[in-house]
Amino acid sequence: MNGKHLKQTLILSGLIFILFFCETGWTLEKCQICHSKKDIHRTEETGRKIPLFVDESILGKSVHSERECTDCHADIVEIPHKKPKKVNCKRCHYEGNPVGAPEGQLYDQFEHSVHGMAVMSGNDKAPVCQDCHGNHDVIIHTDSTSKMYWQNIPKTCGSCHIEIYATYKESVHGVAVANGVKDSPVCSGCHGEHNIRSPKEDDSRVSQMRISQTCSECHGEKGVVSKYGIKTDRSATFEHSFHGVAQQMGNRTVANCASCHGYHDVRKEDDPKSSINPANIKETCGSADCHPTATAEFASGQIHINPKSEESGILYYISKFFLILTVSTLIGLFIFILMDLFRRAKTARQKRHGK
Amino acid sequence: MKQTNENMNKRESLIKDLTANIIDSAKDIVKETESQEVTKDIHIEVTNRLNYETNSLLNEVVTKLSPSIVDINIKEQPEGRKFERFGKNFRSQHMLMFVSVIILIITGMPLKFPEFGISKFVIISMLGGLENSTLIHRIGAVGLIIVGVWHLIYIIFSRVGRRDFFLMIPNLQDAKDAIQTIQYYIGKRAKGPKFGRFSFIEKFDYWAVYWGMIIMIGSGAIMWYKELFPKYAYDIGREMHSDEGLLATLAIVVWHFYNVHFNPEVFPMSWIWWHGQLTESEMKHHHPLEYDEIMKKESEEIINKSKSEGEN
Repeated sequence: MNGKHLKQTLILSGLIFILFFCETGWTLEKCQICHSKKDIHRTEETGRKIPLFVDESILGKSVHSERECTDCHADIVEIPHKKPKKVNCKRCHYEGNPVGAPEGQLYDQFEHSVHGMAVMSGNDKAPVCQDCHGNHDVIIHTDSTSKMYWQNIPKTCGSCHIEIYATYKESVHGVAVANGVKDSPVCSGCHGEHNIRSPKEDDSRVSQMRISQTCSECHGEKGVVSKYGIKTDRSATFEHSFHGVAQQMGNRTVANCASCHGYHDVRKEDDPKSSINPANIKETCGSADCHPTATAEFASGQIHINPKSEESGILYYISKFFLILTVSTLIGLFIFILMDLFRRAKTARQKRHGK
Repeated sequence: MKQTNENMNKRESLIKDLTANIIDSAKDIVKETESQEVTKDIHIEVTNRLNYETNSLLNEVVTKLSPSIVDINIKEQPEGRKFERFGKNFRSQHMLMFVSVIILIITGMPLKFPEFGISKFVIISMLGGLENSTLIHRIGAVGLIIVGVWHLIYIIFSRVGRRDFFLMIPNLQDAKDAIQTIQYYIGKRAKGPKFGRFSFIEKFDYWAVYWGMIIMIGSGAIMWYKELFPKYAYDIGREMHSDEGLLATLAIVVWHFYNVHFNPEVFPMSWIWWHGQLTESEMKHHHPLEYDEIMKKESEEIINKSKSEGEN
């Protein structure tokens, strides 16, 4: 082996080393030299201390446990390093990515959502992926410690929407979720997930124009509420009511589900705090935007009334009476018309034959 | 001189026509009874009918041949005599009524069937939304209420209105007419019954409107001022308004439209709602008893007049 060969071998092994280094990036061990210390922190200009401790046991439970730190923190190339940029999940989660990261329309959906739009417009408080899904603790949503576990979602959203969370927790849906009723909606049940829109937008799941449809996913004919002894005709009766018809005709001022029942604070009828409790319903119907002159009688009685159900009492019999009256009258009139036509044809025939 | 000759010719042809009519009627009656065994009852019936027909034809002859009326007919109404069936007042009521009802149906029916695309088209695209359509519906409602009040005043204070109202009251003869009409339809009778000013069919139409007006205006008023009523009254009002609205619409579209638009005799439309007039042959065909009565009255007047002239 001469000097020339030695030089070539050294260069080659150097290249291999560099390639190897690039491929594997920073190993967890290297990062944990510093980040396993529990009191490691960064001090902001305001004096606020940001803890930089990374719990390896949490990291191990994460769906990204097989990934290297620099797979996400790709802008760190040396130690010690400066404050890294916000992690961009799209580095892996894009359509056709080679590492097999789940992808789909979620990014597009997010970019058009109320949160995504806020991010785009430069609001640095607006949530990005990791604010909901977690950063080092992106745990699969079926695990009860995941931020995305169904029972934890209200809390996850509530970390920003604090007041709404407090209201929701006491609502019929919130209580049911806390009691482990999986059919009861958490935030995303009504608002959607990556495609959350402002309620002011018509294509939001909770907009004036769509909320009744959203509620009917559970409270409609094919819904899930019958399991819990809740009536399933609530959506159908709403659609047939004047409020429902007006809404289908594009009216934006009529009452929808939430106008009467509330939204984050939906409560059972017998709850004294419920907006539809007999003690409160006059006030609910008589709100300034709706029926300010409503009397107690105007607001009492069955609201979701179905004339085709015997439970509706006199209304059922009136509806039946008119059905019978209409059908029998029309049958009579049609028979009369047909007989008249038949007779006219006969007379015309007789005339033709010169009789 | 020439005119007198013309009048003489017309008179001659009229006499020929009327003589032919008398012979035809007699023939019809004889033909009808030919197949039946002649019992005492039938003999009485035939005698009565012959008497009646002869009398009414004689009245017609007197009326038509009286010089004054023949002159009027020939000069002013070359196509034959016209009879005014509906006066201006009544026609105006009917026009306001059908305009109101059409408005009410167009703006009301889509709300009964909101799931149909055409309903949304009418309310949203044609009328520009529910705010407009409910306003137009109320305008139609006011029109209908005005017609209702107007008609009540008409039947109380107008002489013609009062007469017609009493003629509209259903009686036993209407039930007999209905049975005879059905017998005629199924071929058990050679001819249908003879109607007076209002047939049982027209009486049915007229009283159906009373029923409809009471239900629609009553329930509509409850919905208009819903805050003054308990919730169940509103629910009942809405159900009745919706159901009776459909019934009335179907009755109009099926029954009334068949009678005035679609039946072969008047297709595509009878114009009587506009001019209010019937021709002599229509009058004879549809309201023969009324026609006979007019002829009787006129002939009596003529005879009385000529008598008093003779006395002088």
